[in-house]
Order: sequence, then C-alpha cells, then structure tokens
Amino acid sequence: MICTDWIAEIVESARRGGKPDAALEAHLSMCAECRERWTAERELTSHFRVMRIHAQARRPDQAGPVLDYRGQMLMREFARRQRATKMTPTWQWSLAAAAALLLAIGIGRELGLKNRHVPVHPTTAKHGSTHGDAVLYETAAYETSSDAVALSSEEFIAVPYAAPLATGEIVRVVRTDLYPEALASMGIDVNPAWSGDMSAEVVVGEDGFPRAVRLAENSQY
Amino acid sequence: MGTGSTGKSDEELYRLTRKGDQSAFSELYLRREPAIYRYALHMSGSSVVAEEVANEVFVQLMAPNAHFDERKGTLESWLYGVARNLVRVVRRQGPVEAAVDRAFEHDILGELIHGENIEALQRAMRDLPERYRDVVILCDLEERSYEEVAGLLGCPIGTVRSRLHRARALLSTKLRWLNAPAEVCSR
Repeated sequence: MICTDWIAEIVESARRGGKPDAALEAHLSMCAECRERWTAERELTSHFRVMRIHAQARRPDQAGPVLDYRGQMLMREFARRQRATKMTPTWQWSLAAAAALLLAIGIGRELGLKNRHVPVHPTTAKHGSTHGDAVLYETAAYETSSDAVALSSEEFIAVPYAAPLATGEIVRVVRTDLYPEALASMGIDVNPAWSGDMSAEVVVGEDGFPRAVRLAENSQY
Repeated sequence: MGTGSTGKSDEELYRLTRKGDQSAFSELYLRREPAIYRYALHMSGSSVVAEEVANEVFVQLMAPNAHFDERKGTLESWLYGVARNLVRVVRRQGPVEAAVDRAFEHDILGELIHGENIEALQRAMRDLPERYRDVVILCDLEERSYEEVAGLLGCPIGTVRSRLHRARALLSTKLRWLNAPAEVCSR
C-alpha cells in the first residue's frame, strides 16, 4: 500500500485522539514521511482542542432558559417590530378602508337627498293629506276644493276652527236665518244694535258641521 | 441538533416566530446563537466581529423580508450562511481587530491560547480558503459530524472529508514553516 492510501487513516485516527490501530502503527514504524504527518496531525488536533475549549469558554452552549443582555435586547427589538407590524396597515387594509369611505360617502349623499327640506306652500296643499298638515287647510282648503265651488266666492267666510273638508266630500249650501251672535261666532262682524235674525247661506259638510258662511244678498247687514 | 427544550424543530420555531411568538424566537436564539458566535469568532478571529455578526444574524432572522426557505435547506444552514456572508463583508472591509483573547490574558487557558503555536494556527486558519476554513471550524472546532457539516454546507460527505484532509495538510505545512528555524526558512 502506498502512503497516500494511509492519509485518510492517519487524519481520522489523529482526529479521534487515540492510538493508531496495529496496521497503521506498523506502517508508521516503517515510513518516516507518514510518521511525520502523523505527528503533525496529532499536534494539530491538540491545538484545535485548546481553541475549542477557549471558544466554548467564551460562549458556552445553552446553559439555561435565561437570556443574556444581548438576548434581552434582541427580544425587545423583536417585540418592538411586532408592534410596528401590527400597527402598519397593509395594502389590503388600505384598500378596504378606502372602499368603506367611498361607501359611507355614497350612503350619506343618498340620505341627505331624501331628507332635504322641501317648503310646502298653502296653495299647493290638497285635501286628504295627513292630520299633520291640517293647519294649512284653514287658509287654503276652500281654494283648492273642487267640490266646494261655492266656497271660491269671496263673499263666503271660512268658519274658524272647522274641520277641513275631506277629498271628494260633498257640501251643501243651506239658506237659513241666524242670530247675530251665531254669525259673530262664525267670524262675521254684525251690527251690535241689530237684534233680529239675519238671512245667511251656510256651507255644510257631510258631517253636518258648517264650513263657511255668507250673508244673503237681501240681508239687512 | 434540530430540537431543543420544547421538542420543536428549528423550522417549527421559525414558523412560530413569523407569527409573532417571542418565546419561539427566544428558544431559537438560545439554541443557535452560541454556535453562530463561535463560528464567526473562528472565521474572523475577532470577538468584536463575532458579537456583531451573531447579533446581526438574528436581526436578519426576525426581519419581515427574511429569505429563509425551508425547501432549500435547514434553518441552521441558513443561519451559518448569513454569518458567513457577514464575516465575508467585514473581512472585505479590511483586517479585523485580533482581540480574541483579552478576557483570557491572565489565566492558564489564556497562556495556552497565547502560545506561539496556537497563535500561528489562528493566523494560518485566517489565511485558509473559505471552503477549507468552513470544514475545519465545523468538523474540528465545533465537533460536528461529516453528515451534519455536509447538510450545513450543502455538499456531499465525501467533499467535506476531502476538504478537511486537505485543510489539515495545508495547516500542518504552514505551521511547520512558521515554526521552522530561520535558517531553514531562508534556504
């Protein structure tokens, strides 16, 4: 066997730190070159051992679960980065936020249009509206009622506090004699000196209650 | 070497770390940092550089853009790779401070370290090509098996063995030359 075949055996045996086996020992006793290499390898192993012990002394393997100062600093940095990561919005979150903002603006505009205040004029009010609009009828009901054409006459005077006419309600005009006090209660000025009955035309609703009144042409008012 | 006190592998701990588990990161640090430090110490010859490198390796590990990919190798291999690159960068910037042994100047181990042969060996190691230095550190100084080193370096076991034998031959030759009497060297 030539010496190159022994190199691996010499190196591995020297690394193990033990004695060479019998075959290698026999070869070393005969080959000066290999013996020199063996000595060098043993010396190298010895030096490495010192270096290894030295390095282990400087930084031994994990002795316990307690972190040294450098480790603690690193953990603080880790925690800081985790907090920063949680607070930093990703592009998906940014996109979602933008979409939510646009949606909110759209909904806001829609609601704003629906709730915009539209002024209601008495002349546009119609019969049959809800009770909330009743106050408008006091001045406008007779002007818009198609069923009470007679009420369009300027001579008729609306009876105060009378209920408004319903849509399609049929009215009757009744000629009657009324006491001056009754006329006064309907809002007609009468001569206090006059004490007799007065002839008047009264617009009566289907419920029998008066809605408007006017003095007859031949009245003495 | 892949699992520690919790029984979790490096890769499992890494996955937990990515989810923000600080205890997983802590265990990974305790498990791997000392060896990374010693590796950087032997590679650079400077304790200052070793401290910085070991710290920076774990800073890179916690970075959101850490490029570790389990399919390409183990986490330990990745850690050594980062440390190697960092030492390479430091060495490229110029000679590093050889302040390895200040803390051991006055004890027996320090005297041994400061022996001529050891210092000569440290110098010789720093002059070795990187691929040889790697296997010497991992096999002879960290006492890792050929299989483990092959896994860490991503090369066949035979390559590790042949590199180690070659590296030891180079170191022996260099030591012999350094220790030889002046007249022998001048011949």
